[in-house]
Amino acid sequence: MSLRSAPGEFWGNLTKPEQGVTVLIGAFAFLLFIGLVTGWLGPTYFLYVVGLAGMYALLSFGLNSQWGFTGLINFSVAAFFGVGAYGAALMSGNTSPIAGDYLPVFGLVVALILAAVLAVLIGVPTLRLRADYLAIASLGLAEVVRLVVLNEREWTNGSAGVRGIPSFFEGWPLLATFPSAMPGLEILIIPGSPIVLDSSFWRALLNVALVLALAGGSYAVLKRAHRSPWGRVLRTIRSDEDLARALGKNTYSFKMQSFVLGSLIMALAGVFYAHLNLYVSPGDLDPITTFYVWVAVILGGSGSNRGALFGGIIVVAIREGTRFLNEIMIPVGISPVRYVPLPFDVAPLRLLLIGVIIILVMRFRPQGVLPPQRELIWPSSIDDAAPERPDSGVRDVKAGEDNE
Amino acid sequence: MALLEYLANGLVFSSIIVLGSIGLSLIYSIADFANFAHGDTMTVGAYGAFVTFGAIGGITGGILSLPLGFFIALLVGMVVAVVVAVITDRIIYEPLDVGSIGMLITSIGVAFVYRAIIQMGFGADFTRYDLPTLRPIEWLIPYGIRITEHDVAIVITAAVLVVGLHLLLQHTDLGRKMRAMADNPDLARVSGIRTDRVKLVAWVIGAGLAGAGGVFLGLFNQLAPRMGFNLLLIIFAAVILGGIGSVYGAVLGGFLIGMINQLTPILSDIRLLTDFGSYVPYVPDSVGITIGIEYANAIAFVIMVAVLLVRPNGIAGDGEGA
Repeated sequence: MSLRSAPGEFWGNLTKPEQGVTVLIGAFAFLLFIGLVTGWLGPTYFLYVVGLAGMYALLSFGLNSQWGFTGLINFSVAAFFGVGAYGAALMSGNTSPIAGDYLPVFGLVVALILAAVLAVLIGVPTLRLRADYLAIASLGLAEVVRLVVLNEREWTNGSAGVRGIPSFFEGWPLLATFPSAMPGLEILIIPGSPIVLDSSFWRALLNVALVLALAGGSYAVLKRAHRSPWGRVLRTIRSDEDLARALGKNTYSFKMQSFVLGSLIMALAGVFYAHLNLYVSPGDLDPITTFYVWVAVILGGSGSNRGALFGGIIVVAIREGTRFLNEIMIPVGISPVRYVPLPFDVAPLRLLLIGVIIILVMRFRPQGVLPPQRELIWPSSIDDAAPERPDSGVRDVKAGEDNE
Repeated sequence: MALLEYLANGLVFSSIIVLGSIGLSLIYSIADFANFAHGDTMTVGAYGAFVTFGAIGGITGGILSLPLGFFIALLVGMVVAVVVAVITDRIIYEPLDVGSIGMLITSIGVAFVYRAIIQMGFGADFTRYDLPTLRPIEWLIPYGIRITEHDVAIVITAAVLVVGLHLLLQHTDLGRKMRAMADNPDLARVSGIRTDRVKLVAWVIGAGLAGAGGVFLGLFNQLAPRMGFNLLLIIFAAVILGGIGSVYGAVLGGFLIGMINQLTPILSDIRLLTDFGSYVPYVPDSVGITIGIEYANAIAFVIMVAVLLVRPNGIAGDGEGA
């Protein structure tokens, strides 16, 4: 509460949930910083996690442009993610059964084309369907895609997956040799635990730069699209499709455009994943990925891009955070203290957390933690400037509590 | 010859799908949302029976090589599924005010919670009921049919349950109320039907049958925390094929999808136009439809989408029966 009296118009312009999230992110960043300085968290691993968070943010942006803008319940996120990853891997990986060893940029183009084709293939039959049928049908078609990737060995290498994927910057001038050209550094902040920055660190740094560029680009495009007349039609479709049709809009065509746009962004995330992980397998098309992304979007607030970003970070925190539980040892006994691992498997704990979050959000805050703020009467928008006073308009109603 | 065997397997698998799809359809029409936790409700029933059977063991006697203890375990499994589903409805679905899409998303969360808890208790590995593995029934082998007495038990029990439900729906007051409510909930409410109670009964019947389906799925294959979730989309395909909201459609759709699923290998046995390739370049000589058993589920999903497109109300139509 003392933070609320802090000066600055920016802070005063935030709603309570926004302030809460800001404090939370600040605290989390501080914790990570402490972890980095003390050497408890390796800088390379840290960057890997940042890259993963960026990837989930990208996936959430993609889903948000389908569900948040247009109201399409797409349950085939994993298929587009997987097609993006496989498109990149099959073009550039050296165990690829069809092409292999092409430049990663080429893989990116192929992945985007594949995703666009798949989006049209899935969209044509499903986008006419009622909302809940669309969910079931798209989940079914995503499973078909997964089965094809798993079983068509001569095309995809089957369950063995594709290995030997180069880094994304392979073949680029300067950047290709950047990691090996950079000197190894050793920073000593706390005596005894130096922070080592070797070539894998620089490689991870490049990956983070890549995902930031992809996510930043997508964000800019989506923000522009959201404000454009095109985005307004999408929001009209979301709130009342019959109205949009009555206004003479071809809603099916608009839905398809929105679906393809979102799917391309999801495929971008897949391409990044292939070059981050350097290995893809049919397991990457598991429906659980779809549900992770849904959690991110619902938790963040449907229709809100910063919400999608926040949700993406939380999902990665759950995914990666639960990994550490494997290493936690609990002391047992008194005089000869023994240390035993936790008495249960961690994988189900992750699933439990995701499930509980879905239920709690839908029960207590169905609009998400950071719902769209700059929209006067949802989903129409007043876009430009933020409202002058924090306690005006629809925000208080959305937040469900007043400011004082 | 192989055809008979596939048909027999199809009948057994269909029985399991039918048990799952009736509940999904009932809850779709009466509670008004696509319950993604239904598959995991089946898993709950299967593990409920697993624990019970492990505790009481095979009480001697029994029919079709299944000890009496197994039928007790089956009942307990059904009851466990019902209790879990009703409690979930009371503390999670009932207080929600988010519309049918919100309910759908919530039910995914519920599914994860069920599965996670089962996986914590029993691990992620496959297990099976402590029953001896049976040899196929002797006198059927000459016909090329290889099914065990357990399979026969599955079909008979499923048939008994479905006929029981049919009698309930057609010949009792409660059944009439349920059909009325599935038809038009608002009209049912203003006619003085206590819709809350009908909804509760729908949950009890749906989860009970799902529990039975889960127990049989464990008997037919194996038990694993993902068993129900893996079956969920096939059950959705069956329900959509039959027409959402129609119990009889669900039975028919479940039967057809189960059959198609088990008949998939036939496709690769058929050799169409064997010489086709010698006339047309780039086509292999034997153009059989080489879709293997690994695509059995994919076929069900494609049928589902096709039905949604051509006849969204399903083959049993809309508004007939409960």
